[in-house]
Amino acid sequence: MMRNDPIKHVFIWPAVLVVLAISIFPLIYSFTTSFLSYRLIPPIPPRVVWLGNYVSLLQEPRFWNAIFTTTMIAFIAVGLQYVIGFGVALALNARIPGERLFRVALLLPMLLAPVAVALVARMIFNPTMGPLNQLLSMFGLANLPFLTNGHWALACIIAVEIWQWTPFIILMMLAGLQTLPEDVYEAAELENASAWQQFWGITFPMMLPISAAVVFIRLIESYKIMDTVFVMTGGGPGVDTETLTLFAYQEGFKKFNLGYTSALSFLFLIAITIIGVTYLALLRPHLEKRR
Amino acid sequence: MLRRTFLMLTTSLAMACTVSQANAACSPDYSGVTLTVASQTGPYIASALKLGADEWTKKTCGKVNVVEFPWSELYPKIVTSLTGSDATFDLVSFAPAWLPDFVSFLSEMPKEMQSGKDWDDVEPAYRERLMVWEGKIYSQSMDGDVHTYTYRTDLFSDPKEKDAFKAKYGYDLAPPKTWKQYLDIAEFFQRPDKGLWGTAEAFRRGGQQFWFFFSHAAAYTNNPNYPGAMFFDPETMDAQINNPGWVKGLEEYIRASKLGPPNALNFSFGEVNAAVAGGQVAESIGWGDTGVIAADPKQSKISGKVGSAILPGSDEIWNAKTKKWDKFASVLPTPFMAFGGWQIAVPKVGKNQQAAWDFVKTLTSPEVSGQAAITGGTGVNPYRKSHTANLQLWSKNFSPEEAKEYLGAQADSINAKNVALDMRLPGYFSYTEVVEIELGKALAGQTTPQAALDAVAKEWNRLTDEFGRAKQLAAYRAAMGLPPKN
Repeated sequence: MMRNDPIKHVFIWPAVLVVLAISIFPLIYSFTTSFLSYRLIPPIPPRVVWLGNYVSLLQEPRFWNAIFTTTMIAFIAVGLQYVIGFGVALALNARIPGERLFRVALLLPMLLAPVAVALVARMIFNPTMGPLNQLLSMFGLANLPFLTNGHWALACIIAVEIWQWTPFIILMMLAGLQTLPEDVYEAAELENASAWQQFWGITFPMMLPISAAVVFIRLIESYKIMDTVFVMTGGGPGVDTETLTLFAYQEGFKKFNLGYTSALSFLFLIAITIIGVTYLALLRPHLEKRR
Repeated sequence: MLRRTFLMLTTSLAMACTVSQANAACSPDYSGVTLTVASQTGPYIASALKLGADEWTKKTCGKVNVVEFPWSELYPKIVTSLTGSDATFDLVSFAPAWLPDFVSFLSEMPKEMQSGKDWDDVEPAYRERLMVWEGKIYSQSMDGDVHTYTYRTDLFSDPKEKDAFKAKYGYDLAPPKTWKQYLDIAEFFQRPDKGLWGTAEAFRRGGQQFWFFFSHAAAYTNNPNYPGAMFFDPETMDAQINNPGWVKGLEEYIRASKLGPPNALNFSFGEVNAAVAGGQVAESIGWGDTGVIAADPKQSKISGKVGSAILPGSDEIWNAKTKKWDKFASVLPTPFMAFGGWQIAVPKVGKNQQAAWDFVKTLTSPEVSGQAAITGGTGVNPYRKSHTANLQLWSKNFSPEEAKEYLGAQADSINAKNVALDMRLPGYFSYTEVVEIELGKALAGQTTPQAALDAVAKEWNRLTDEFGRAKQLAAYRAAMGLPPKN
C-alpha cells in the first residue's frame, strides 16, 4: 500500500473520532465547566465565574491539606515500596531456596482489589475488635488509636499501600535484574569487588532507567489513591487523611458542585504534571549518563 | 374427529379456568411487572423492603427487585438517576432530609392513599410534618426515627449501685431527666477494669455521628418560645449552630465520648448497638433498633434487662431571638427526630407508577410494617399508632416490662410537645459535611467547641448565600412547619 493511499483515512478517522468523542470532548467540557458556578443539587443555573473556582480552591485550606496528605502518602509509600521491593527482588534474583514459592506469594497482594484489601485492613486496625489491638492487649500494652488519630490513620494507609504495591516494584525490578549482563559481575569479582561495591557500582546504576520508570508509575498512581482511603477512614478523622481524589469525590458526587470539582480536577492535573516534569528533570542528567 | 374436537374444547376450557383462577389470586394483577427499588445495603431497610416485596408478590403476582447501595453511596446514586431523568428506579427509599433535593423529580402520592384507616394510623409527626413538602405529599414514611434512651435495668435496680450513686451525686439513680444526669450516670459506671463503660454514642465521621450531637443540642436550642429556630433563625436564615445552646450541647457530646469504651471515637451506630447488646455500657442513646437488638436473646447478652426512656432534656433553652437563655419551670423533654425515618417515593419518570404506589401501600400497611418493626435488623422502628399500641405484637422479643418501657418511650418521644425536627434543606450534604469535619476536629481536641461551631456557622451562612437566601429560607420554614414569610 502506498503511503499516500487515501484508504488510510478509512482506518484512521473512525479511531480519531472515537478518541475525540470519549476522551477529548469530556476534557474540553469539564475544562469549560471549571469556569462556571454549576450545581446540580440544589439546582442552580450555570453562571460564568471565570477563574473564581480556581481562586476559591487556592484559598481553601482543605485543598492544601489534601495536597499535603496525598503528597505524604505518595512519597513515603513509594519510597519505602522502592527500597523494600528492590531488596526483595535482589534476594529473589540470588536464587534463594523456595524462590518460586516466594515469588508467587509476594505477588498475591497486587492481584487483590484495593477495596477488598482496605476492608480487611479496616478490620485488622479496628480499635476495639481488631486483632492488632487484641494482640497488644495480650501483652499488656495499651490499645492504639489506629484509625481515630490523624497521624496513626495516615500511617495505617501508608502501610496498606506498601503492602499492596511493593509486589509491583518486585516484579519490575526482578525483570530488570534478570536482563543484566553476567560478564560485568564476573569482571568485578576478578577485581575483588565486594557485594556492596558491586551493588553501588554496577547493579544500581544499571537499574537506574527501570527504577526511574517504576517509581514514576507508582508515584502517579499513588497520587490517585481513593478506594483505600475511602474504605479505611473516609478521609477522617476530620480531614486528616483526605486525599485530592477523595476531596474531588466529596465535592462532585456528594455535593454535586460540578464547576468547583472540574476546577479541582484541573488543579490536580497541573499538580501531577509539575511533579512528573520535576521528577524527570531531576533524573535526566543521571539517565543521560547511562546512554 | 368429533371426539378430538371435544377433547380440545375440554382442554381449552380447563386451561382458561386455571389461568382465570391464577389471575383471580392476583389482586390487583401486576403479573409481568418488575419494580426496582433503590435501598441502602441490608439488612437495615433492605430486609424490610424484601419483606414487603414478598407480601406484594403474593398479593399481586408482581416482582420487586431491591437494589442495594452502601449508605454513603445511596444519595449520589439516587441523585444521578433522578437528575438524569432515567427510569432506573421505580421507587427510591431515602432520608427525609433529602426530600427537598428530590422533590421536583417525584410524583405526588395518589389522593386515595391520603385518607382512610391506614392513613390515620400513621403518627401525626410523620403524616403531617415529615411526609409533607409545601402542602403536598410526595413520600410515605416506612420507618419511624426518633432518638431514645436505653439503659441496663439490672444495674439501675441494684440496691448497692443505687446507694453508691445517691451517696456520690445526691439524687436517685434512675433514667436521667437532664443531660447532666446522663453524664453523671455515665461517669458513675465508667469501670474499664471490669469491662463496663458509661455510655455509647456514634462519634465517627460518616457513622451517623452528627445526629447524636444534634440530640444533645436539641435540648438547649429547640425553644418553644421561638419555634423552628434550632438550626437557623426562621426570620433571617442566619445560622444558629454556634450559639451558646449548641456550644453547650457540643461540650456534653465531647464529654460523652470520654465516658465510652476505648476508641469510641471510631463508633458508628452499628458499634453502639454492639456495645449495648454486649453489655459493655450502662446506658446509651440512639434509634429504636438499639432496644430491639438488646432485647433479642439471639443477639444480646443483656436480654431481659433492657430499659428505655425518652431523651434527657433541659429547663433552660437558648432563645435565638432575644439571644438569652429562657428558664422553664421544669425540665422540658426535647426528643430529637434524628434522621426522621426512612421514606419511600415514586420518581415521576417511573414506568410503573400505579404498581409502585400499590407496593408502597402494601409495604407500609399496618400488618406488614408491624411485622417489620418487631423484627430485629430490619431497621424499622414504630411510626404507626398501631405499632406502639399492640403490646402483644412485641412479646416475641421483649418481656412485658421491657415492651411497656420501649413502646412508651417511642410514643412519648414522637408525641412530645417540644419534639425537635431534623434539618431538611436543599443542599443537605453540603451543610452536614462541614459539621462532620468540625466535629471530628473538636472530638480529637484539635479545636475548641466554640471555634468548631463558629467555622460551621460561617460555612452554613456562605452556603445559604450561594444557594439563595430567600429560597433556602422558604424551604427551611416549610421543613419546620412554619407558614411562608411574606
